[in-house]
Amino acid sequence: MAMLTVENLEASYGAVRALHGISIEVAEGELVALLGVNGVGKSTTLKSIMGVLRPVKGTITFEGQEITNRSPEKIVKRGISLVPEGREIFGTLTVEENLRLGAYVGFKRDRYKADLEEMFELFPILKDRFHQAGGLLSGGEQQMLAIARALMGHPKLIMLDEPSLGLSPAMTDQIFRLIVTLKERGSTILLVEQNAERALEIVDRAYLLANGQIEHAGTAEEIKRKVDVASVYFGDQTDADSCEVSL
Amino acid sequence: MIDLEFVINTLSLGSLYALLALGLVLVYGILKLVNFAYGEYIMIAGYAIYLSATLLHAPWYLTLLIAVLAAVLVSYLTELIAFRPVRSQSPNALIVTSFAVSVFLQNVVLIMVSPRARPVQLPFFFSRTIEIAGATVPLRNLLVIAVTAVLLVALSLLMKKTVVGMAMRAAADKFTTTRLMGVPANLVISTAFVISGLLAGVASIFWVSRSASVDPLTGAAPLLIAFIAVVTGGMHSTLGAVVGGFVYGLVFNLLSVTLPASMISYRDAFMFALVVVFLLFRPAGIIKRGYTEERVG
Amino acid sequence: MMDKITAFIRKHQTVVLLAVPLVLAGVLISMFGSRLLLDIYTYFCVSLGMVYGLQVFMGNSGILSWTHVGFVGIGAYVTGILVTPPMVKEMGVPNMYPALVDLSLPVVPSILIGALVAAAIAALIGYPLMRLNDFASVITLFATLIVIHVVMTQWDNVTNGPRTFFGLPQWTTWGIALGGALLMLLVAYWFRESGLGLKLRATRDDRYAAAAIGIDMVLTRYLGFVLSALMAGFVGGLWALYITSFSPKSFYMAEMFLLLSMLVIGGSGSVSGATVGAVVVTIAREGLRQVEATINNAHVLSFEVFGLTELVMAVLMVMVLIWRPSGVVGGQELRLPRFGKKKDVPAEVDGLAA
Repeated sequence: MAMLTVENLEASYGAVRALHGISIEVAEGELVALLGVNGVGKSTTLKSIMGVLRPVKGTITFEGQEITNRSPEKIVKRGISLVPEGREIFGTLTVEENLRLGAYVGFKRDRYKADLEEMFELFPILKDRFHQAGGLLSGGEQQMLAIARALMGHPKLIMLDEPSLGLSPAMTDQIFRLIVTLKERGSTILLVEQNAERALEIVDRAYLLANGQIEHAGTAEEIKRKVDVASVYFGDQTDADSCEVSL
Repeated sequence: MIDLEFVINTLSLGSLYALLALGLVLVYGILKLVNFAYGEYIMIAGYAIYLSATLLHAPWYLTLLIAVLAAVLVSYLTELIAFRPVRSQSPNALIVTSFAVSVFLQNVVLIMVSPRARPVQLPFFFSRTIEIAGATVPLRNLLVIAVTAVLLVALSLLMKKTVVGMAMRAAADKFTTTRLMGVPANLVISTAFVISGLLAGVASIFWVSRSASVDPLTGAAPLLIAFIAVVTGGMHSTLGAVVGGFVYGLVFNLLSVTLPASMISYRDAFMFALVVVFLLFRPAGIIKRGYTEERVG
Repeated sequence: MMDKITAFIRKHQTVVLLAVPLVLAGVLISMFGSRLLLDIYTYFCVSLGMVYGLQVFMGNSGILSWTHVGFVGIGAYVTGILVTPPMVKEMGVPNMYPALVDLSLPVVPSILIGALVAAAIAALIGYPLMRLNDFASVITLFATLIVIHVVMTQWDNVTNGPRTFFGLPQWTTWGIALGGALLMLLVAYWFRESGLGLKLRATRDDRYAAAAIGIDMVLTRYLGFVLSALMAGFVGGLWALYITSFSPKSFYMAEMFLLLSMLVIGGSGSVSGATVGAVVVTIAREGLRQVEATINNAHVLSFEVFGLTELVMAVLMVMVLIWRPSGVVGGQELRLPRFGKKKDVPAEVDGLAA
């Protein structure tokens, strides 16, 4: 029984269809990646799961209960957390306040203190920056804050949207190591990445998206064998010819 | 010309205008709604005073409480009934909705009460004057300064220390992301409207006390003042609204004492022209902040 | 040749679809309708002209153009000053500048000058205003309307101040009003379909993308604004020559609310929307007025009912915005259904950030 099941998801922006029936599954404890070049609908999928976008068709089930068309706040309450693309840190709020809002769902004072300590252990930099405005942090620090903020709500499923985007290679390494750590700690993770090569090194399974559809699905090994990863990474010639929707 | 009396008068006028502007900008910050119905919250609070003090002869503290509660209630209800269903639509649809709400409320009062002005009775101590260092100042001018100071402190505590306050600041910055924290959109928006109504109610007490009467169009002038103060101060922060309120009060008083008598009837036109010119040079207002243009749904 | 004409008409069928019922209604009402009905129709045609002018700028740019009714007022006052005989002005506007009192022109040039003056004022103040967006743009245009209003009420050497300006001949008949509305329809339609109108609509939909493909947003808006003011001034003249006496109050919030409700209820995105909105609002308003009058005349209530019309209009407007946010017509121009139906385009799904 999968934790998250997405069936036949279709979504569109106005008249532009972005997803043409996507089905994915994530089981408890799994680290699954959603791969593909820019604009194939990876973020749209996450936003639809999260209730930020309303799908045209399809069902989304989480822990056996349908959550299609629920509001984002309700879905967060169910235990899904999204680390959005571009970090989306509250720039005018301090690091502390960002984390406090992350703990909004099911807030318990005693647990909150312990959680903070845990975050400081995972991300020591956040302790130093605790009272600074989120907007003053560097890109990598913001990404850590965004992940910490999501963890503060004790999600059952974490969805990471392009966590390595715009980061230095060293920082990218750090983020990928962190994702592995999170998995080892027992988190269930759905990772969206353009950097297919790197993602395939750490994930259990992966889905490969092209033009709003799933082209390949399988374990990391299978995907690596089936697909010329470099072509995915850089964008396949034949794919580039077809009309792509830029999101 | 610039003496203690002028300073106190300017401070009191600025305080009142700051309250007006603050109530408007709180809602704008989160919903990106230019609320034309805001003046009507002030007008309704004025009628609440009329009902409570003039008709029912309630004690003054009860009257003031009823006035503020009336504004809060109307503000909340307009959000619930009119703005919430239109929220995800274009900014113009929201503005036009607020304009329609404004027309609706004005005409409700017109039909239910009267098109003519009604007298309002304010607490006896409002009309007292006291002397400070040789200057004669109406007590209500000092009161509005004190009340504004208290409200500003309380509001900033609310925004800084409570989770709802944090959520409101977060929502003004990134609305969708705030929802991704699990914060209900409706909670944040309703809270903004409730506070907006509260500020309108308090401002109304001081506003109607100046003319001691209320009519269906009472809300128009304070609405304009709030508009102008907000655009001058900067529509992207609460600090901007407060600064804008005080600047507007200062300029208004300066124009009042410096304009020749024959030009005084053009004072409002002057004010608006000044603001328009000012905005051309500084479109974001006095207090500039990163432009966030995300829309809310 | 015949083919070309048919193709042309088919391409621009919207104009025909809108104009034919309009003309037909006028002819029928003038032949069989009552005096009251013809009056309502005439006033409707003039309002329609105003709404077309509003649509040109607001509909295509997405900017709430509060000033529109102010430009209508400018057209009305200029026409009034030029057309009214010096004798009448001397009596009616005691403080008027002597030079203005002596002016006297035939009707048609007066209307045209009124339109030009409105456009000139728009041209003078418009450019900087067009740079602003969002809150600042809404408020400054709103403030500009107030400035226009204050000047109208205070400059009694020109406008007779807050008092009534009277003495214009009733020159605008139903036919002339209809002609004016048709002319405005053509201009509004032409503008929407023109390159400039297309550019303006592009800035409305996404100003960054529009800038990225080389559209000068401020200039585009500016030209639309001036054209819209020209139309407002023109219709203002027709209006003044129908109403024959007016005061600054006629060009303020209440009237603006009416124009806005017409455009928004019909759908500001298209000329068809403006037309349908004007029809719906006029019918609703006249109906409500009848109800209000009936209630007041029947003396069933102990008081007079004022403002019922506005009240219901406001509710109607919010209801339309809730259920049909892009108006009754919905942003598209009216066209006859095509053979071989096109598949329905899925509606906007984004529930959050529009």
